[in-house]
Amino acid sequence: MNEEKYIEEQVGRRNPFTVPEGYFDTFADQLMASLPERQPRTKYVWLRPLRYAAAVVCVLAMGAMTWFALSSSPDVRQPIQAEAIQVSSDVAFDEAADYAMIDNYDIYACLSEE
Amino acid sequence: MTDERELFAQLKDPKQQHAAFGLIVRQYSEQLYWQIRRIVLTHEDANDVMQNTFLKAWNRLDSFQGESKILTWLSRIAINESLDFLRRNNHPTVSTEDESSISQMLQADPYFDGSEVEAMLQEAIATLPDVQRSVFLLRYYDEMKYSEISQILNTSEGALKASYHIAVKKISDFFKSRD
Repeated sequence: MNEEKYIEEQVGRRNPFTVPEGYFDTFADQLMASLPERQPRTKYVWLRPLRYAAAVVCVLAMGAMTWFALSSSPDVRQPIQAEAIQVSSDVAFDEAADYAMIDNYDIYACLSEE
Repeated sequence: MTDERELFAQLKDPKQQHAAFGLIVRQYSEQLYWQIRRIVLTHEDANDVMQNTFLKAWNRLDSFQGESKILTWLSRIAINESLDFLRRNNHPTVSTEDESSISQMLQADPYFDGSEVEAMLQEAIATLPDVQRSVFLLRYYDEMKYSEISQILNTSEGALKASYHIAVKKISDFFKSRD
């Protein structure tokens, strides 16, 4: 059976709630009497778009400055990369030497014979 | 009944808005009251929430740009105020253990003249989460179209249809378990 129909057959759609007599007749008058004065909107509403635009410009300017600062000295990075490469090749050599079970004296001897 | 556009124009005119607001209070208060009452259940609470609803609408007149009908706008505020009221007053979704207290409270309420079964329906509705409860009440009692409910609850029609069917299923099961 359609479940909505089942509920309707069990209960119906009648509104079981009631209100005090005359409630709706007096509600509007009581509410209107208690409404506060409305505050007029600010005269300078037209300035709001300008404020938003100014905020956007500031954010863009800060972003541009940061980008330029980070990309302004590319040469600084190269020595650091060269040093990194040097360190890794030394480490690889040491590891190879350990594996071959040769020490520094053997290496010196080998090199002096060449 | 004053034309919607005419009323909107009056609401936007500082010289006429007080009178125009009085018109919309008289025109829509009863309909809004029942939307509120079905959520908060007691007359005292419904009266408080309805006053807050109109006060909020009065304070927000400037932000209403006529993007929806006046009643839709008011209903949105009313439903949100009602649900906020329940949350503030520690009325979370009623658990199954608390169901009988709602029914008993209603049957003892002088402003409830429903039967025991009608009180049980209110119990079942009180167990639903906010969206399911709201869409069930607006659809079942007010027979509102999904397109209108969508504007009030700011939820897609598809989601509302799903919520409604889930709500109906839960309420149906609630009654069947008590047969």
